[in-house]
Amino acid sequence: MSLPTSCSLQMKSIVTVRNLSKTYRIGQLRNSNPSLRDAFVSAISSPLSFLRGQRHGDGATLNALQDVSFEVEPGEVVGIIGCNGAGKSTLLKILGRIVKPTSGEVDIYGRVGSLLQIGTGFHPDLTGRENIFLNGALLGMKATEIKRNFDEIVAFSEVARFLDTAVKYYSSGMYLRLAFAIAAHLQPDVLLLDEVLAVGDKSFQEKCLAKIKSVSRDGRTVFFVSHSMEAIAEMCGRVFLIRSGQLYEGSDPQSTIAEYLDEVAEAEARHTSLLANASESALASA
Amino acid sequence: MAISENASLGVSRQPDPPGEFSERAYHQVSLPLHPLLKIRARKKWMPLELRDIWDHRELLYFMVWRDLKVRYKQTLFGVSWVVLQPILMTLVFTVFLGKIARVPSGNVPYVLFLYSGLLPWTFFSNAVSTSSHSLIASAQMITKVYFPRSLVPLATVLVRLSDFLVASVILFVLMVYYGRPLTSALLLVPFLILHLTLLALSLGLLGAALNVKYRDVGTALPVLLQLWLFASPVIYPTTFVPANWKWLYQLNPLTGVIDGFRAALLNADFEWRSLLVSFGITLALLVFSSFVFKHIEDEFADVV
Repeated sequence: MSLPTSCSLQMKSIVTVRNLSKTYRIGQLRNSNPSLRDAFVSAISSPLSFLRGQRHGDGATLNALQDVSFEVEPGEVVGIIGCNGAGKSTLLKILGRIVKPTSGEVDIYGRVGSLLQIGTGFHPDLTGRENIFLNGALLGMKATEIKRNFDEIVAFSEVARFLDTAVKYYSSGMYLRLAFAIAAHLQPDVLLLDEVLAVGDKSFQEKCLAKIKSVSRDGRTVFFVSHSMEAIAEMCGRVFLIRSGQLYEGSDPQSTIAEYLDEVAEAEARHTSLLANASESALASA
Repeated sequence: MAISENASLGVSRQPDPPGEFSERAYHQVSLPLHPLLKIRARKKWMPLELRDIWDHRELLYFMVWRDLKVRYKQTLFGVSWVVLQPILMTLVFTVFLGKIARVPSGNVPYVLFLYSGLLPWTFFSNAVSTSSHSLIASAQMITKVYFPRSLVPLATVLVRLSDFLVASVILFVLMVYYGRPLTSALLLVPFLILHLTLLALSLGLLGAALNVKYRDVGTALPVLLQLWLFASPVIYPTTFVPANWKWLYQLNPLTGVIDGFRAALLNADFEWRSLLVSFGITLALLVFSSFVFKHIEDEFADVV
């Protein structure tokens, strides 16, 4: 085995992110499907600006991510926390190549597997067995890998008896277990998880957490978005807090989590005082 | 040296039991020198990455397999719908055009003449219309997982190609029934099928990409395809077209390939010029569509 020269004193990162930004045009979000007719009309009425790619609209933009940089080493479990709409999912989607960044660079020294939703691409009319192959291939597994792990996936999912039943007849618990079992046997170097644990009962969640831990013990890197501070604190060696598109990392996971909880408490206080003001003024006017 | 460095970092970051560091250090050593994946902002105008598509060929196979499986599970008649569509169209056109309007078809029975044109036409039109809708139909997958998006319309075209091959059995039966000789010209048929598939694929890619971006493409497409049927030598022979308009008629890439198909099957004379023009246009369209698709591809997850 030839050793790469770079593994000398410096610890090598598996994921390097430099100055990553993602900007959405607000107009693009509001009217996401303009018609071809509109495009023709604007091309004819203002050909120059059309060619330059300018579209009319209020020109407002939304910075989903702003100048985010970080490095992550193999085997680290990184928790990503933040309020809704702060940019957590956007970061995960860029790492998973689902959306393109507006600017910035990402280098990943390994295979990436993304699990942003459980059971993506499951077809209701196909059997459990068929969906294992379909979903496995979609998540990036080779057919030989799926065959090799097939028995283990079935055992983990506990649906062996219903393997040849269409998944539309599955209970939601069975569906979930099967979907997670497939994803858990995905063996990427970098695993992206988004709120996967928000579903399922307590024992299922524990099973998932245990699996994720074993994934990191194998030296694989995990990015884990969650609103459950309990799970984040338990699993993650590093925690990123994303606040309106910007990344904050405290000196240790606890301080980052505390920072986030402060932010949530502040927002709640503001909300309550707003409500109080509103009811006061309502009372006053009455 | 690297191992101790790694271990000390591991301790400060993660309170793991000590037995696991060596494994992690091993993983660190095995990192590749160059990134496997470089994610960059969108560049202007690039063609599709064939390498990426090739790397995902197993997924393509599973996508085609899924569609065929589902089709034959869901529908009552399964295979028979694939065959019924061209047969019913043949019946209708034979009655109205062959018997009532008496469209001439040379020394070939009109039924055979018609079916040998309707068969490739049905493939082409179904492939273009279904693949144009395919990306929107798989929006759920596109926003959750990465794979080359061109696999979706590509798989759709391949499913339609398999339909075409099934429906070809009827053509074979008709040829035997009318006592047509099986000649060496039939050897050209596989190449013509490839040609037609590439043409359908190029328009399917274009339609799929535009349909994501502009929602009225899906509405306009059936009308365009209907017009295209009448602008192609499917239900009438090319000899219907006045000689001084022939050059324009041959710019329709379907003219060359459908005439070629018919000539190979029914052992008629080939119009090589028309076929070559058609092939040239097909290749140009394929390149063009590949650039357009790639250009719009990066926006799909933002827009769908």
